[in-house]
Amino acid sequence: MSDKTTDLPADGTVQSETATAQPFGLPRWVSAVLPIALLVVVLGLFVLTSPLAGIQGGEPLPDATITHTTLPSDDTAVLHVTNNGPEEITIAQVLVDDAYWNFQVEGAGGDRTLAPRESARVVVPYNWNPGWDLHLNLVLSDGATVGHTIVAPQSSPGFSADILWTLALIGLFVGVIPVALGMLWFPFLKTISDRALHGVLLFAAGVLGFLAFDAGFEAFELAERIPGAYEGNLLVVFGIVGALLLVQTISAWREGRAAAGDSRASSGLWIAYLVAIGIGLHNLAEGLAIGSSFALGRVSLGAFLVIGFMLHNVTEGPAVVAPVARDERPALWHFVALGVLAGAPVILGGWIGSFAYSPTVGAFFLAIGVGAILQVVWEIAGMVREADGRVGSATNLLAFLIGFAVMYATDLFVVL
Amino acid sequence: MPRIDYGRAAEITEQLENRLVGSLGGETTVDRRTVLGGLGVAGSAALGLGSRRSEASAGHDDSGDHGNFGAVDEYRDTHFDPHEFLTTFNTGADGQQSVPQRIYEEDGRTVREFELTAVDITIQIAPGIEFEAWAFNGQVPGPTLRAVEGDLIRVEFKNVGAHAHTIHPHLKNVDPAMDGIPQNGPGVLDTDESFTYEWIAQPAGVHFYHCHSLPLKEHVHRGLYGMIIVDPDPERVRENPSDYVTDHPSQITPAMTDDLVAEAETRNHESAANDDVNEMVMVMNGFDTNFDGENEVYAANTRAFAYGVGKTDAKGNWEAGETKRPIQIDRNERQRVYLVNATEFDPINSFHTHSQFFDYYDHGTTLTATKQTVDTIIQAQAQRGIIELDYSDHQPGLYMFHAHQSEFAELGWMSFFEVV
Repeated sequence: MSDKTTDLPADGTVQSETATAQPFGLPRWVSAVLPIALLVVVLGLFVLTSPLAGIQGGEPLPDATITHTTLPSDDTAVLHVTNNGPEEITIAQVLVDDAYWNFQVEGAGGDRTLAPRESARVVVPYNWNPGWDLHLNLVLSDGATVGHTIVAPQSSPGFSADILWTLALIGLFVGVIPVALGMLWFPFLKTISDRALHGVLLFAAGVLGFLAFDAGFEAFELAERIPGAYEGNLLVVFGIVGALLLVQTISAWREGRAAAGDSRASSGLWIAYLVAIGIGLHNLAEGLAIGSSFALGRVSLGAFLVIGFMLHNVTEGPAVVAPVARDERPALWHFVALGVLAGAPVILGGWIGSFAYSPTVGAFFLAIGVGAILQVVWEIAGMVREADGRVGSATNLLAFLIGFAVMYATDLFVVL
Repeated sequence: MPRIDYGRAAEITEQLENRLVGSLGGETTVDRRTVLGGLGVAGSAALGLGSRRSEASAGHDDSGDHGNFGAVDEYRDTHFDPHEFLTTFNTGADGQQSVPQRIYEEDGRTVREFELTAVDITIQIAPGIEFEAWAFNGQVPGPTLRAVEGDLIRVEFKNVGAHAHTIHPHLKNVDPAMDGIPQNGPGVLDTDESFTYEWIAQPAGVHFYHCHSLPLKEHVHRGLYGMIIVDPDPERVRENPSDYVTDHPSQITPAMTDDLVAEAETRNHESAANDDVNEMVMVMNGFDTNFDGENEVYAANTRAFAYGVGKTDAKGNWEAGETKRPIQIDRNERQRVYLVNATEFDPINSFHTHSQFFDYYDHGTTLTATKQTVDTIIQAQAQRGIIELDYSDHQPGLYMFHAHQSEFAELGWMSFFEVV
């Protein structure tokens, strides 16, 4: 605060200058464009004269990442490689369990050379054994090796209508149905006292808070497998902050509408939709995890997993509908929309995860989910404060803690 | 600190190149560019340069149910030809153009003089894989030197590499100043320094030379090693037969002496009997390309799979490649392999023949086999020996030989004789 006051005179001077006259009487737009134009000129000169050519010492190290592998059939292994370094790399040979093996490079323009940031697939015809670890090494032209171990390999199921249907079914069970069931608490929620309802809202916030941590840790864990050139950790931070600010922007716009007298904008339904979007994004990430595990042949679709997910997600239902408990009951289609928005992304995530999976996409979706969830927690707190004036009451804090604890307990059932 | 003069090193390399090109001058199909293609040029491995060769590559033939084993593609750097190296000996009288050499008499002794120059050079050790080597006369293994028992081997050694080097011979050397180690004689030779080593060629056998600068592991593994073959002198064998057998002198009969002399004649390159033997040099070596103390490439004579097949469908059909092809041998000729183990990082290497048993002469210092009728022998680092093979009763076709450390075999040390 004190900083602002000391800054004020300076701000004032600047303003008076811009208001009065531009240097040399130039039009305002020239002042706006000039720095950019000069930057272009300097960059051009730099490229043309390359003043650092003599100073450049040595050469950068080759840097490549195998982001993930797929096993489309029992006689093929596919490595997904990205060149992180500033120089091109050439994959000269491939070692499978310390033996030179045939391979093809797909997606690198017909050769085995990857430009900086270029990605390619290295297809190795190898009759691997299910469950027996596979050590793969790419030998680059300068002899550097890039290694990857496929632990306990299993066939990836590949793309088919069957798989789409299976994933849709899983999504229905672990996403849509539990959220819908949870929403059936709505009539009950309408009857309870304000204090209890606020407790339920804070319980929902606890649920979401847990999910934010859960997804956040997972995003950073995945970020380690993101090729270095994409700065995995910063990508996650960007996803979180970006989603948070975007949703908050929508929310701020809504508040502006509400203040201007738009009754629809002031209803709890807005918050309900925001919660649904936040949970939906989280469930999208959950679907990605299921889908990618499925793609890697890692899912045992036992009843335990499905039951775990259902218990876990049923708590998300009341979180969605609690904000509208004090309003007039919205039209039924709103409930359907809320349920689909919150639950159905599991299906979408499953599809994306199984067919177009990459750690980069996975981590980014998780991060977006975290950002959205944080905003929703913020929103719920604001809602309770508006109605009650006090978010940090004993009941509310306890409800938040219970929400957190219930999620932790049910999370134990979900072993993916 | 040795002064590093890259300009000078480049000049010497150029000289060596020119000699090499000169030696190929007669072959009009080979132009200078082809010979020097990829020499010292990082990135020459960039694929798709020689489209003719990529058509011939074995890379994308995944018709086999189990996928195809082996290195993909052919060698593009033709600076070193393992097939040529296999049967090339430098005797002072005759040898590689890239190894200046002469033979003359001095004080009643035959002198075989060689000029060896240590250079820094980029070599190709597997298709597309380059290795920053330190090499005698620009090749790994270094030139094979050959003398007759009792000769004087005079090596004019010049170091134009960036690091200090020596040449240490595995010979019976009675002058410690000539041992080629940092602690004796001239010690290590810095960049641009020279020294003339003199060694008496003794005992008869197959021997080894290498740089003995420290760190030893690196100086050997970077490529500073080669073979010295000392042919037995038949006259000396007749006079001192007990020097060439493990038996007690009392056991040596005149008939046995005759046999030993006859065997010595087959070993002596100046004798007519030697012409009937097909002699091959194999230096088992390995290369650690990623500095983890383990070799990524193993081979006999540097290049992974260079004596393998170019292409196979793994169903019994194969084709010779341009640079990867079996060693053709005449079934009616006696086959002799001079074998040395120059592998770094692994304590032992081995040599195993398929469908064949052979006699083995450890260090080649005896004229009777030290191991008879075996199909596998092991060698410690720097151990060497002579392998005598007879394919006269075998049907023509492919016969594999390789290190029986399966790992070494699959990393390149897997080769074939094509018996014709």
